[in-house]
This record gives sequence, C-alpha cells and structure tokens, in this order.
Amino acid sequence: MQGQEVALERLGMRFGEFTAVEPTDLTIKAGEFFSILGPSGCGKTTILRMVSGFQSPSEGRVLIGGQDMTALPPNKRPTALIFQTLALFPLMTIWENVAFGLEAQGVPKARRRKRAEELLDLVALGGQEDKRPSQLSGGQRQRVAVARALAVEPAVLLLDEPLSALDLKLRQHMRAELKTIQRRTGVTFIYITHDQGEALAMSDRVAVMRAGRVEQVGPTEEIYNRPATSFAATFVGENNLFRGRTAGAEGGLVEVETPFGLLRGQNADSLGSGEEAMLFIRPERLAPARPEHDLRLRAQVERADLEGPFFNLHLRAGDQRILLQLPNEGATPPEGEMELGFSSRDARVLRAGALAHG
Amino acid sequence: MGEMARFYGRFLTGLILALVAFWFLALILMPQISMIQRAFHYEARDGAAAQAVLEANRLQQRVATMNFDIRALEREVAAGVSGAAPAAPSPSNPFAGLPSPGAPRPGLPTPGLTPSPGGASAEAPEARLERLRAERDGLTETIAESRATAQRLRAEEAAAQGWSLRNFTLMSPLHWRIFGLTLVYALCVTALSFLVCYPIAYAAAQAKTPRRTALLLLALTIPYALNELLRIFAWTMILANQGLLNHALDALGIIDLSQGGAIRWLASNGSVFLVMVYTYMLFMVFPIYGSLETLDRNQIEAARDLGASSWRIHWRVALPHARPGVAVGAIMTFMLAVGSLSVPQLVGPGLHPDWFSQIVNRNFFESNSWNVGSAQALLLLVSCTIFIFLVMRVFRVGIREIAR
Repeated sequence: MQGQEVALERLGMRFGEFTAVEPTDLTIKAGEFFSILGPSGCGKTTILRMVSGFQSPSEGRVLIGGQDMTALPPNKRPTALIFQTLALFPLMTIWENVAFGLEAQGVPKARRRKRAEELLDLVALGGQEDKRPSQLSGGQRQRVAVARALAVEPAVLLLDEPLSALDLKLRQHMRAELKTIQRRTGVTFIYITHDQGEALAMSDRVAVMRAGRVEQVGPTEEIYNRPATSFAATFVGENNLFRGRTAGAEGGLVEVETPFGLLRGQNADSLGSGEEAMLFIRPERLAPARPEHDLRLRAQVERADLEGPFFNLHLRAGDQRILLQLPNEGATPPEGEMELGFSSRDARVLRAGALAHG
Repeated sequence: MGEMARFYGRFLTGLILALVAFWFLALILMPQISMIQRAFHYEARDGAAAQAVLEANRLQQRVATMNFDIRALEREVAAGVSGAAPAAPSPSNPFAGLPSPGAPRPGLPTPGLTPSPGGASAEAPEARLERLRAERDGLTETIAESRATAQRLRAEEAAAQGWSLRNFTLMSPLHWRIFGLTLVYALCVTALSFLVCYPIAYAAAQAKTPRRTALLLLALTIPYALNELLRIFAWTMILANQGLLNHALDALGIIDLSQGGAIRWLASNGSVFLVMVYTYMLFMVFPIYGSLETLDRNQIEAARDLGASSWRIHWRVALPHARPGVAVGAIMTFMLAVGSLSVPQLVGPGLHPDWFSQIVNRNFFESNSWNVGSAQALLLLVSCTIFIFLVMRVFRVGIREIAR
C-alpha cells in the first residue's frame, strides 16, 4: 500500500442554483493525514464524494497520483470510502465484510480469509472473524470498516465523519487508533469532520471550509495559532473577539480602536487605517495582568467553571463577554473586578467577516 | 386483555372479542374442519343411497314441471269462469295466459310429461287439473319416501364406512399428474414473477427522489383499480386469435390474418403464466419493495466503492437484505397461482391438461362430489403449507419476519 497525491483543480459543484462547492484548488500530499473541517452544509462531504467518484463535478478535475480520475466510477478509482454510517454488511460475518472487496476482485476464498485475518490483526480485532457486525461494539465496528476499506489496498482512504456516532471516550481512543493505522499503512487519509478537536488531534494539515469555499489550508498549528479569516478564528477553538476600526499600522502590528480603548495585534490581513477589523485573542493567552503584558482591560468575573486542569473564567466588561483560561494551581479562582492583560504578539487582527457562531 | 378493556371500554372489548371469535371459529375453523371431514369420507356415487337420491331428484324435477302445468291450467280455468274469449288458448299452449294473440299452435311440442292431445282438448280443463293435482300429490309422497330411504341408506353406508382414504386413493393417475404439474406451474409463475418484480421493486425502493417512487408505485397500482376478472378479460382480448396482438402483428406484416395465419396465443401455458404474473404482480412487488426500502443506500455505495459489479451488489447485498420480502412475495404468489381458477379458465380454454384448481371446481359444482372436491382442495392446502415451510427454510426467515 502506498499513498498517492490527490489534486483538485478548479473542482466545483453546483446543484441548480445552489453552489455546494465553489471552484477549488487543493493539493493533498501522498501519505498525508488531511482533514477537511467545516460546519454541516459547507460542502466538505460533496468534495469527498467527488474524490471518491460518487458525484460527478460540475466543473474542474480530480487527479490522483497525477492521473485524471474525473470520469471514472468509484470502483475504478484507487480510493476507498468509509461512510458516516459505516455501511457494514449486516448479514455477512466480519471477515466476509473485510474481504468483500477481494471477493469482488475474484480472489480465492482461502486467500481472502487469510488477508482478512491480517487486516483484522492490524486493527486489533483478531479472533472476531466469524461474528456479525451486530455483535460488535461501536468502536469495533469502526475498525472493521477501516479494515474493509484497507483490504482493497487503496492509495487514498476517504473518511466521512466516521467517529460521529461514538461516545466521547471512544472517539478520543479511535483518534489515536486511526492515526496509528495511517502511519503504519502510509495511505493518504482524507478525513471529513465538523469537530475541530478531531481535526487538530489527528491531522498533518487541515482545510477549513465555509459555504462551499476553502478559507484556509495549513498545518494544524498554523490553523490554530494563525487563523487566516474571522471564520477560521472562531470555528477552530475558542477565541475572544473585540470589534473596532483600525487606527494605524506599523511593523506588522495594527492598532484597533475598540470600546476598551486602543488595542494592538498582529496585522494578519495587511489592514490599513480606518478599516472594520476584529481582534482575536485566545482564552489561554489572556491572564491576570502581569508586567510583560502591553495591553490591559478591566472586567467583572461572572462565573468560574472548573474544567479540571484549568478554570474557564467568564468575564464581562460592558456588553463584551470575555473568556479566560486560568491554570488550576490549587487556589480558588478570583472574584469581582480584575485586571486582565495580554501581549500584542498573541493577538491577531483580521478583516471583519463571518463568524462561526452567528 | 385488561389493558384492552381499559382502552376501549368493556362493551367495545366484548364486541371485538366476539367478532374475532366468530371470525376464527365460523369463518376459518368450521369450514376447514368440515372440509377435512368430507375429504376423509368416501361417498359411493353408485351405491343404493346415491341411486335413491338420484331417483328422488328426478321425481322432484317432474313435480316441478307438473306444478308449472297446474298453474297454467288454473289460470285458464279462472279465465274460462270469467267468460273470456271462446277461442281460449289450448290448455297445452305454452303461451297460455300470455297476452299473445292468435290461434293455437298445434305444431308446438307440449310441455310437461302428461300426454295431452294437441289442438282442442278432449278433456275439460277442470277435470285435467284434478287429475294432475292427484298425480302430483302421489309423486310428492314417493319423493318423501325415497328421500327417507336415501337417508337411511346413507346412514347405513356412513356407519359401515367411517373414515377412509378412498377419496385420495381413487383419484385417477391423470389427476395426480395434473396435481403435480399444477405445483410445477405455480412454481414457474412464482419464479417468473420474482424475475419481473425484483427489478421493479428495486427501482422503486432506490429511486433518487420520493416523487419518482410515488409515480412508479402509482403506475403499478392503477391497473389494480380494475376488477381481477376484467384484467384477465383484457388479456384475452389481446391474446385472442382475432385479438389485438395478432392484429398488430398483421399490421406489421409479420403474419397474415386473412390467410388464417393467426398465432394461437391463448390456451397455452405460456399465456396462462403471463397473465398470472401480471395479475398477481403487486403481491410480489410490494413485499420486496417494503424490505428493499429499509436497505441503507450507503451499503450499496460501499459495495460499489469496494469494486463490486452490479450483479454482485444484488447477489451479496440487496437480495440478502430483501429475503423476507421475497419470501412473503413468493408465498403469496404461489398460493394465488396454485389456487387460481379464473386465469386458467379464461385464458386457457381447451388447455390440456387442465390446472388442478379447475378439477376441484368441477368436482364441487359440476359433478356435485363435494367429498372428492374436498379431498383435492385439502391436497392443495397441504402443498401450500409445505411450500410456506420450505420457503422459510430456504430463505432462512422466521415467522416473525414474515409477519412484519
């Protein structure tokens, strides 16, 4: 099994008046764990179906390993799809499920069975060959679906929110499991999800999508630390947002006139002065004011929620809500009014735009 | 039970239970028991009792004719008393009493068994009436006697014979052959019906839009607004020697009707199969549609994604899923086909050998041998039951899935 590169060239999909996917260029490297992250209805599943061949694009091309696959049906492409519902065959045994692709290729039964056992070992399901899908747990079924997809030795494995039916603990366990399988097999994984935690935990690179358009593509740290749009900044992780108008820019920083006075942050959108802007600061970058902070605010503590290793401190300053993550060091969280500070290096100023939650 | 009473009230519950009990006992259990009882009782058609019954029936027919004559005479006498036309119609005139005018018609045969001279009667109507009445009363007594004799002989015969298998053992080899062939034919119809209906049901169940499904199902259902007999007659119109199909072929120049080149479509098993498949199609389509509708489309896509051909997808994924529906459809179609009377009767006139259902029908309603008919009907019932269990075994479905 060897992963292959997937390239989308001006790939777009229109359903009548509705544009599901705007013409998109995207290259997914061979052997990469790539996630497409976005809210439901953003077009990520449509992209997946166009790559797998279940949907013909209304424009553009799909190249896998440098070869144009746009006109090929699903069974002629070196891809395998793992469905959200898994779509295991309930009336076949586990090994028959796993070996179904080989059966379709006309591999003799003894060899099919042997290969199925190898694959089930790979996904830590050895010894369950003769059960039926209904006799397995959710996580086990998940791994059967992975084994079944890997049996046809795809160059690209497409996963359509396969973990969404699992409970939280199992989901976290399966993340690690999927990543291990991906590393071990070297297959290119394209993973569709609306769960930013999943995308960040597993992927090498992530594409953030909104309304049929890719807003940002990059490694996970870049997506989290340097979001390119206001949507990416609010969809991935928590963020504090201060709206305002830019006052002046110099040396990579830009000043924003906000109701809390003049704030400063990284000028990520090359803003000039007098433009509508949004300043974002991550809750974990906010802290009770310390000498090295060059920016300060006063706010009222409304509530402190213990999340285990840290407190989520909900504050309010006028109409502005502020979230601050305070490490849990054994002390009781502060109450009443407090002074917060952050460093302008950690704040990010972007052109005003759409947000992830209204 | 208590829950039902709470839900519907005591009166309604009682009514429902009574109706169910009536339905089960009177409409299912009793007729079945009676049929089984008859099937195992041999009725000698040539015995003394049967002879007596035949004799009584013959006499009864004579009395009926005499009654007719008597009524005619009575009317005549009444007309004579009121002083009607002197040229009253002859007593033997079958049109007496009718407003038809004209002279008596001597050439016409006289009705009734009592001889009567044609033309003017030698006997006065009153006297004749008297004589007929006396004769009739005598006959009625004889009938009563021979009925009593028949009953006594019957009772004796029944007591002497009791249960017997003779209704089955006396069935002619030809009838057994027809019985076997009918089962084979019904299996053919079931198999053909499956071949026709599975693609239709699949198309309806997996149609891209709900609208398309609705249209397909509607198109299937519309012909069923017609009465079953009319649907069959429609086919005889198409398949008859001078029917639509031959005319169409004639118009296309394939055959020449004027030269007597008509193709005989009717009276062949092929056309009986065709009409049966058409007539009972819905009983196969809907169960299969019902089970295919629950098939997750992703399973089909997954199979295709894994490289399976359409054939393999049906064989390994869709058909196994549709098993319960296919089983129900097969059972219903088989039972309808094996017991169908109207289709072989109307589409296969002159078809030899007949279908078994036609023989059962003849025994019941033409030869009046209900016991033999019952025995044959019982054979059909047993073979249907065996078929049901076979289907359940072959398709590995339980009674629970079938009920669903």
